[in-house]
Amino acid sequence: MSDCSTCSSGGSCGTNNENGLPPGMLQQYNLNQSTAEDNLVWIETSIIDDKLKVVDVSIELIGKLKNISDSRTIGIIIGDNDVKMLYDDIFAYGIDTLYHVKDKTLATYHPEAYADAIADVANRINPAVILIGGTSRGREVAPRVAAILATGLTADCTELSMNGRALLMTRPAFGGNIIATISCSNFPQMATVRPGTFPMPQPQIGRKGTVMYRQATNNDLKDIISSERKKVIESDISKAKILISLGKGIKKESIAVAERIAAKIGASVSCSRALVDKGWMPQNRQVGQSGRNVAPDVYIAFGISGSIQHKAGIGSAKKIIAVNTDPDAPIKDLCDEFILGNADQILAEMDKMLNS
Amino acid sequence: MKFLLMIKQVPDTTMINVDENGNLIRTGVPSILDPYCEYALDMINRIKNNEDRIVAVTMGPLQAKEALLRCLELGADEAYLLSDKAFAGADTYATSRTLTAFVNKIAPDYDHIFCGKQAADGDTAQVPAELSRMLCIPQFYYVEGISRDLTGMTVIQNYGDEIRTCKLPHMSLISVSQGDLNRRLPSISMHLEAAKKEIQTLDRVSLGLGIFSVGLKGSKTKIVYSYSPKSEHKCTIIDGTDPSTAAKHILEGIK
Repeated sequence: MSDCSTCSSGGSCGTNNENGLPPGMLQQYNLNQSTAEDNLVWIETSIIDDKLKVVDVSIELIGKLKNISDSRTIGIIIGDNDVKMLYDDIFAYGIDTLYHVKDKTLATYHPEAYADAIADVANRINPAVILIGGTSRGREVAPRVAAILATGLTADCTELSMNGRALLMTRPAFGGNIIATISCSNFPQMATVRPGTFPMPQPQIGRKGTVMYRQATNNDLKDIISSERKKVIESDISKAKILISLGKGIKKESIAVAERIAAKIGASVSCSRALVDKGWMPQNRQVGQSGRNVAPDVYIAFGISGSIQHKAGIGSAKKIIAVNTDPDAPIKDLCDEFILGNADQILAEMDKMLNS
Repeated sequence: MKFLLMIKQVPDTTMINVDENGNLIRTGVPSILDPYCEYALDMINRIKNNEDRIVAVTMGPLQAKEALLRCLELGADEAYLLSDKAFAGADTYATSRTLTAFVNKIAPDYDHIFCGKQAADGDTAQVPAELSRMLCIPQFYYVEGISRDLTGMTVIQNYGDEIRTCKLPHMSLISVSQGDLNRRLPSISMHLEAAKKEIQTLDRVSLGLGIFSVGLKGSKTKIVYSYSPKSEHKCTIIDGTDPSTAAKHILEGIK
C-alpha cells in the first residue's frame, strides 16, 4: 500500500488497481475503454492487363466504411515506388490517410511479410475496424493478421453495420440456412468481404489525402522459384447480367452448347461444384459458398439440384429459372420458374433457335 | 520426417436438409472426414517414404474418432483426438490456440504440417493461417502439387491469377486445395490394420490450457443473433416435356 502516491490520502484509500489510480476513477471518467477508432482497409494491388491496379474489392470496402461510419478511413498499401501512381485514385475513393509500406522485395506478394506490415500499421494507429477483401490473397493474409493482433475475424461477410465503434458482421452460416450476426470482443474488429458484395463508390476526382511511409520490418522471405501469371480471360461471373449455370444433371457436351448460347445472348456460363470436382469447368466459374456469390438479373440453372451451398451463392439473383428432371430438387424453394424437363435437350433447342 | 495432419470432421453436406422453418436437420446426417483433409493426406502419401510418420490430429467431440479412424485407414500412423467439454463453441482463434498447444506440447519435433484448404461446413479457411502464425512458421495456401527430391521439397500454389512454385523451408504449413479424385481407397488389410491402432484422447488439462483460452470462452467472435432467411420467391412449375416449348419460354424470359 505504501507505494501508492497518486492521491492525497497517501495510500490509505485502499486502491490496489495496477494503474495506481484512486478507486472508481476508471469508471467515473470512462478510462478503462479502448481508445481504438479509425477504420483500416488493406488496399490490395494486382497486375491487371500488365498494369498495376487497385483491386476493386478494396475500393468497395472504402465505400462501405464511408457509408456506415463517421471515423476516418485509413488505407495501407504495400509495394515499391510504382505504387505511387495509384495514390490519386485511392484518395479519390475516400481514403484520408494512406500508409505506404515501401520495400523493393515486397513488390512481390508474401503472405507472412504482408501480414506483419498490416499488423505493424494496426499497432501504430490502433484502429477499431480492419477490413480486408476476400480475394485469394486477402483470405490468406487476414487470418494471419488476426493471429498477430490476437483478435477475432469473420470471413465472407455479406453485410456490415456499426453501432458506435462496434462492428456487426453478418454472414450466412451453414450454407445460407442461417444468417448469423457476429460481433468481436476485441479491438480491432476484423472482417473479410468477398468481391462484389458491396457497390463501387463514386470517385471524387481531385480529393486529397496524406501519405505516410513505413519501413517493412520483415526480411525473412520465402524462396519463390517461379511465378507464372495467368491471364484471367474468362468473363467475371459475379458481374454477369445473365448466367447460364450448369450442374451434375447435364452431359459434358452441353457445356459447349451453353457457351454458344451465352455468346449469343450476352450471358456468361457458370456451374455448380459438381462440375468443378469432375474437372469439366474451372474453379473461377463455380457459384456457391465455396465458389462465388452472383447477383445476375436472370439465373438459369440447368441440371442443378441446389445444395445448400449452391443456394447460398444465388440469393441475390433477381430471377431464377431452374430446369431439372427431378420435381423435388431443392432448388425449387428458391426459383421463380421451375421447368420440369431434360436440361440437355432444352439447351440444344435453345441453341438451334438462336442459330435459325 | 514427421508430418502432422490437422483434420476436421464435418457433416456430409450433400445430405443436409432443412425443415419447413428453414432450420437445419442435423439428426441422422452422417459425419465424414472433410474432403480437403483427405486430399491433404493423399498428398502426404505420395511423397512419404518408409521412415516417415504421419500423425493425424483433430479437435472435436468423441465421435470425431471416426474421422481419425478413416485417416488411420488411409495411411496415418498415429492419431490424436483433442476433446473436452470446454472446447465446445470455439471460433477459429480458440481452435488454432488449442492446436498450437498440442503441437508445442506433444509434437514439437514435426517437420511439416498439412491442412485441408477449408472445412466444407464452415468454409472460412482461417485456421491454417492462424495456426501457422501462432507457431511462427511460414504458410503455403492453395497448394495443388508437391514434389520431393534429395535437396528438399517444393510446392505449387494456385492463386487463381498466379501459379507459384516455392521451396518449402523446414517446418512449414501446407494448406491443400485440390486433390486427385482417383486417389487410393483403403483396402481390407488397411482397414484391419487401422482398427489395431490406438487413438489417443487429450483434454484441456493435459494440453496445459486455461479455461479462458479455449472453446466459447476463448473465442474472440460471438454470434449476437441468427435467423433463418425466408425465401421471397414464389415458384411456378412449368411442364418441360417438350424441349422446344421450354427453350422458347426461357429465351422469351430473358428478353
